[in-house]
Amino acid sequence: MKENHNPAFDPQVSALLRAARGAPTLPPRFEQNVWRRIEAAEAPAAPAAWLDALARLILRPRFAVAATAVLLLAGISAGALEGRQLARHDAQINYLASVVPHALR
Amino acid sequence: MKRPLIILIGAVVLGAAIFTGSFYASQRATVACCVKPADDLDWLRTEFYLSDAEMTHIRELHEGYLPQCAEMCAKIAAKKGELESIPGTGTNLTAEAQAKLNEIAALRAQCQAQMLQHFIAVSQAMPPEQGQRYLAEMKQLTLGTNELMEQSMSDHAGHEHGTN
Repeated sequence: MKENHNPAFDPQVSALLRAARGAPTLPPRFEQNVWRRIEAAEAPAAPAAWLDALARLILRPRFAVAATAVLLLAGISAGALEGRQLARHDAQINYLASVVPHALR
Repeated sequence: MKRPLIILIGAVVLGAAIFTGSFYASQRATVACCVKPADDLDWLRTEFYLSDAEMTHIRELHEGYLPQCAEMCAKIAAKKGELESIPGTGTNLTAEAQAKLNEIAALRAQCQAQMLQHFIAVSQAMPPEQGQRYLAEMKQLTLGTNELMEQSMSDHAGHEHGTN
């Protein structure tokens, strides 16, 4: 039977090879840079998450009811203020039309 | 990605519709409730916080003033008719037409003086502070527009002189 002479299977040779393979020197802040690149690669996913969260909030019945109530209240208040101004203006025009002679207009 | 965006856009559109709808409904309701077109003096009552007694007095003054005002308007209208009937006014300003214009101007001045006199009488029927405010506002509303017009005309004339 023929003996296997492949040096890679020789435990002594393997140990020598491991010892000869020096540890590579990494550039400064290698680990930080790797994490930074990983974070940058994941960044585009953030807006979708934000939009998702907002959509979920909008769909919550409590939020929807509160937002509708606030908008209704704001609309009614602003409309009433504007309406008062318009009514005041119309009443003023009516009065002026009655006291200022046509000949002077 | 698309679904949340559609929800957000839908919510914004719905919110805008709710706000706009309630705004216009409220505005119309307020105008309909607060304006009384039948009463010309309604503005005085609300704007100058007048009592019923003060309003009664002012109403008497107002009703006394209206026939005088109408009479003056009729005089001015008659003079305008006379001016239009003068022959040749379409091309040249005759002495007769100039005289009519002067008469109209005098009547207008008289009419304006009468109107101011009425404003003074009304202001005196109000509490002093409100009366002053009323008089100032009426002067500004009735004479202010004329002054603005005259001012703009003089400015315009000035520019023309400047270009010549």
